[in-house]
Amino acid sequence: MAGFLKRTTGLVGLAVSNNPHERLRILYSKILASLQVIPQDASYRKYTEQLVNERFDLIKTEPDVEKLEKKMNCGQIEEVIHQAECELSLARKMADWKPWEPLIEEPPVNQWKWPV
Amino acid sequence: MAASLVRFVRGGFSRTLNLVNRSPCLVQARSEATESKPTVRPKDPVTHSQLAVFGEYVAEMLPKYVQQVQVTCYNELEVMIHPDGVVPVLTFLRDHTNAQFRNMIDLTAVDIPTRPNRFEIVYNLLSLRYNSRIRLKTYTDELTPVDSAVSIHNAANWYEREVWDMYGVFFANHPDLRRILTDYGFEGHPFRKDFPLSGYVEVRYDDEVKRVVAEPVELAQEFRKFDLNSPWEVFPAHREAKAPELPAGDKTADK
Repeated sequence: MAGFLKRTTGLVGLAVSNNPHERLRILYSKILASLQVIPQDASYRKYTEQLVNERFDLIKTEPDVEKLEKKMNCGQIEEVIHQAECELSLARKMADWKPWEPLIEEPPVNQWKWPV
Repeated sequence: MAASLVRFVRGGFSRTLNLVNRSPCLVQARSEATESKPTVRPKDPVTHSQLAVFGEYVAEMLPKYVQQVQVTCYNELEVMIHPDGVVPVLTFLRDHTNAQFRNMIDLTAVDIPTRPNRFEIVYNLLSLRYNSRIRLKTYTDELTPVDSAVSIHNAANWYEREVWDMYGVFFANHPDLRRILTDYGFEGHPFRKDFPLSGYVEVRYDDEVKRVVAEPVELAQEFRKFDLNSPWEVFPAHREAKAPELPAGDKTADK
């Protein structure tokens, strides 16, 4: 593969990215910035920061796209970009929903008991 | 034809003979096989523990909405959530990098009339990335609307219309919530447990008015109730532990 350009991802609607490192760097720094709003002890922030930082380090250290894909082990680099975009939109929504708060309401008695 | 029949019988006979000859070794093989491969479904502790860990992960991330997490005996992960959390939890499961449940496989409801919230809404999701499935359950009653999942999964559109049609569960913010399976002018929700088996109306073609007319159901025969109970215990695991009955009641009655 090395030497000539990748023409297609083979997936419908997913175009080849010309500068995946640049794109991922922007996305990951945006995710980390939007996670700053969430309180420190929220496990969503904890786990997502851990995940994003791991991938961020990989991008910084590995310039070759194919090796990067293998190290990330999450599909092609375009798919990883798509995942990062989803994570960014989720992180922004999470700040509104505040799911780290305690349970809204206990289920009614015997709601989840089966058989009835 | 008779000849062919005889041949057939002979063929069958010789085959049975062969079987008889072979039978001892067959039996032996089978008994060995039963020891190594029982017909009972083998347990898969690895998958089970993976699912349990992922369930705990989801519950830890969203403690506001998740009420209960369980893994069934067939290794299916079930997450029970509060009805307010439908949109956040579905979005989280779709967009989070460690979940990626991007496909909605099914959305349906269960009617259990004895509960205060009689309808259970069930969402089945599939993650192609991790090759795993998850089941999301929430609850509602006849009047409380549930948030629609159409903004997250387009597949939910017709499923929610179906649930609205069959159970009468109202979905808030649905773009096009109307009847999907029942007939024009149909009244009632046929999958509710209190809906009669025969329905309320029957239709027939009337020759005088030259159209199909609907009339209240008249059954020519009484509704027959068959005793379908099996003498065998079908679900022994669902047996409730009974407290041992005390013989003390008789003595008080005697006095």
